[in-house]
Amino acid sequence: MLQHDVLIVGSGLAGMRAALEVAEDPTLDVAIVTKVHPLRSHSGAAQGGIAASLSNSTDQDSWELHMYDTVKGGDFLVDQNAAEIMSREAPENIFELEHMGCAFSRYDDGRIAQRNFGGHTEPRAVYAADRTGHALLTVLFEQLLKRGVKVYSEWYALDLVLKDDVAQGIVAYDILTGQIETISARAVMFGTGGYGRAFRVTTNAFASTGDGVVMAYRAGVPLQDMEFMQFHPTGLQGSGILLSEAARGEGAHLLNSDGKRFMEDYAAGRMELAPRDIIARAEQVEINEGRGVTEGKDCVFMDLRPIGEERIRYALPSVMHLAKDFAGIDPLVEPVPIQPTAHYSMGGIPCDINGQVRYKDQDDKPVVGFYAAGECSCVSVHGANRLGTNSLLEAVVFGRRTGRAIREQVKDLQPAHVSEADAERATTEVDRFMTADGEEKVGAIRSQLRDLLMEKCGVFRTDGLLTEAMNEIKEMQSRFENVSIDDHTKTFNTDLLDAIELGHMLEFSEVIVAGALARRESRGGHARTDHATRDDENWYKHTIAYKDEDGPRLTYSEVNMQPQYRDPYPPEERKY
Amino acid sequence: MPQQKFRISRYDPVQDRAYEEEFDVEVTPGQTVLDALNLIKWEQDGTLSLRMSCRHAICGSCAIKVNGQSKLACQTQVDAAQDRADANGVIAIGPMGAQTVIKDLVVDTTKFMSQFERAQTWLQPPEGQDPPQREYRQSKDSFDHWSHASSCIHCGACYSDCTVAEIDDNFLGPAALAKAYRFVMDDRDSQHDERLEMLSGSGGIWDCTRCYMCVQACPKDVLPMDAIMELRTEAIKSGKTGNHGTRHSKAFAGGVKKRGRLDEATLPVLSAGIRPGAIPELLGYTPGAIRLLRSRKLFAAAKRHGASKEGRREIKRIFEEVEDQKHHDDMDAVAFETLHEEALKAH
Repeated sequence: MLQHDVLIVGSGLAGMRAALEVAEDPTLDVAIVTKVHPLRSHSGAAQGGIAASLSNSTDQDSWELHMYDTVKGGDFLVDQNAAEIMSREAPENIFELEHMGCAFSRYDDGRIAQRNFGGHTEPRAVYAADRTGHALLTVLFEQLLKRGVKVYSEWYALDLVLKDDVAQGIVAYDILTGQIETISARAVMFGTGGYGRAFRVTTNAFASTGDGVVMAYRAGVPLQDMEFMQFHPTGLQGSGILLSEAARGEGAHLLNSDGKRFMEDYAAGRMELAPRDIIARAEQVEINEGRGVTEGKDCVFMDLRPIGEERIRYALPSVMHLAKDFAGIDPLVEPVPIQPTAHYSMGGIPCDINGQVRYKDQDDKPVVGFYAAGECSCVSVHGANRLGTNSLLEAVVFGRRTGRAIREQVKDLQPAHVSEADAERATTEVDRFMTADGEEKVGAIRSQLRDLLMEKCGVFRTDGLLTEAMNEIKEMQSRFENVSIDDHTKTFNTDLLDAIELGHMLEFSEVIVAGALARRESRGGHARTDHATRDDENWYKHTIAYKDEDGPRLTYSEVNMQPQYRDPYPPEERKY
Repeated sequence: MPQQKFRISRYDPVQDRAYEEEFDVEVTPGQTVLDALNLIKWEQDGTLSLRMSCRHAICGSCAIKVNGQSKLACQTQVDAAQDRADANGVIAIGPMGAQTVIKDLVVDTTKFMSQFERAQTWLQPPEGQDPPQREYRQSKDSFDHWSHASSCIHCGACYSDCTVAEIDDNFLGPAALAKAYRFVMDDRDSQHDERLEMLSGSGGIWDCTRCYMCVQACPKDVLPMDAIMELRTEAIKSGKTGNHGTRHSKAFAGGVKKRGRLDEATLPVLSAGIRPGAIPELLGYTPGAIRLLRSRKLFAAAKRHGASKEGRREIKRIFEEVEDQKHHDDMDAVAFETLHEEALKAH
């Protein structure tokens, strides 16, 4: 049995940032468990920028404006204490990362450059060309190396162990050896990322299979606001690979089959720089009404040419290469077909502004020793729709805060113990796949699930579609019982991992659909054509879902309206 | 849909058996090699193991060999791979080189990753000095000069194709050296000279053979070999000349400048330099030298044939032009002459 004071699951921005903070106290033994090498984490795929009101571009910006943009962008479901903290602490976090050596793009006078982004009223996005996430991931990994933090790389966490609402540690699977190991820790933090892989068209990595949210859910922790999935407006046709919002920030146009900049009809004030949910819906309407482009008419065009060749080459090299390498299109000479693509998971594990996981529907009772930050968590700083550049910021700000909270609290936490018996569920699951000879195949069920969520729980949803989706997921879950795999060996068995991940996807997909079915309104990333408007009277609240025998049991909790340094922003009509 | 045949080099760690296996895949235009491998894995043989994650060339997981060249599977179109297929149109897939295979296309990346730690590729700001209240000011020109090197995704493709890493575990390799370059050039770093000293040592910049494979393999715009060459120049400029690499480089260039040709007889002597250990080093070359003599390959060198008068003038002109443009290191011809004579006398 392995043991550490602090165990962090996930090695993206949130996990690494927290680990560095814990490691500030040399008496604490901190380790990271991650199913992919830290440098492979999906944080690295973020392209356009990280928000902070540095006022380096104009001197008009302030944390209040950033907070307001965030709250409005999230369709007012944002917890305002969290949005306040994120906006206020953004600049110091950026400077700290810059001091660590992050390669941010510069102005001629040597200051950090900033660009425009959707839903932000000021040029607030700090960037490293169009590989900002990569630059941040790299710099945090460098610091991790410098400090010599222990990393269990290519270890797959299978279970979170809680006893009487107190975290004990995890059960993990060593991918290289095929051994199941228990790791005890007084503080366990999840920074395990999002769950977009369950959608057919997605920007998400193969790794983004919601492992952390499912581990928490299975351990009895509820999940919050899972129905809010962000569809990014500019996914490359077919694959859904992300083309950065920075392209629109730099001046790209969106065009329908008539060559018209259609955003004029949806958000004339912000055009292509409206928030993502609004643009994704606008695109979907254009497509649904027959104004799509390309053969399948299931795309619209993004035209980068107004930006100019020199600036595209300098500021958007990745966008240019992605279009060329993955669609064979040179954006310098022709527009790129794009479509809405599942991108960001607003929902997740409910926690407070210090990453402490809490039962928000039970007077904020804490899950002692259990913390979460980044995309797997739900603070909730993005509410019903996240603004671009706020995800990297959230991961860094709340990763750092969570690391600090753990550093200060862990010595008061009781010694933890994960026993062999705690590994039973995981062992049984692995043994079952290693010996099963059922007829069902992982690949077939997975692709059916991904089609289903895209078509019936996508940009637009209805009661009818969601009910069908729920029934089909239940059916897939029972078919999954009969699944078998080809590889029955222990060393680097990715066939087994695929099966475990599909189990996770089937589990959280049910929670997404249940939340969406219940929420009879349209807000942010959740749009119902049968309940097309926001309903603050009945639905100004967070969804909280517990795992019950028959499926998710839903309760609700209040939106936080208590920022510390200013009055809250009351809900208002969301127009751009 | 056209069928495409793939021949995959596989390794079964249970049986300790390496073998090749062919698969037919129905491919559609626009599909990548990663898509094709996944079709094989998901529909034909789930035991096939490979790493993958982001599928858009940023996470660096899926570097493999496609027709013998290291590439990201996700970034390589099947069509493009077809262009270099064998005579029967079969695309060959295999694991990366210079690293131990764990299973199929999965290699042990520990050795590659450890090079970054050895090269201490993290920022070392001035000690005992608080950072500024806001950001460090960094000149845009300087940033633009090195920032391409910071786009390394640590995929290992360069290391896999590196002709030195293949035979020398001690070589830091192109990726770690390019990353070290990024910190040498970053004006926020305080260890400019210390880094260059370390990089001039064993396993560092002078162990590169300039074969260019890394630049060809890199799926980003890192240009590792160019970075290594710039580091060499930077190291010499900073006076890090007490090493075999610098002496060799100077002897090489100096010989050409003086005689219009590479002087193989004096090159080892000058490269060894005047220092303890030089004699044993030279004695170590003796067996090789004898073999060269026997096969009459040293004759030409021993005769010291040079270029024609005209040719030498042309060479001199080229040297002057290059030195004028500061494209090359500022080698002091006079200093070289002195060094040259001293070294010859000493031996």
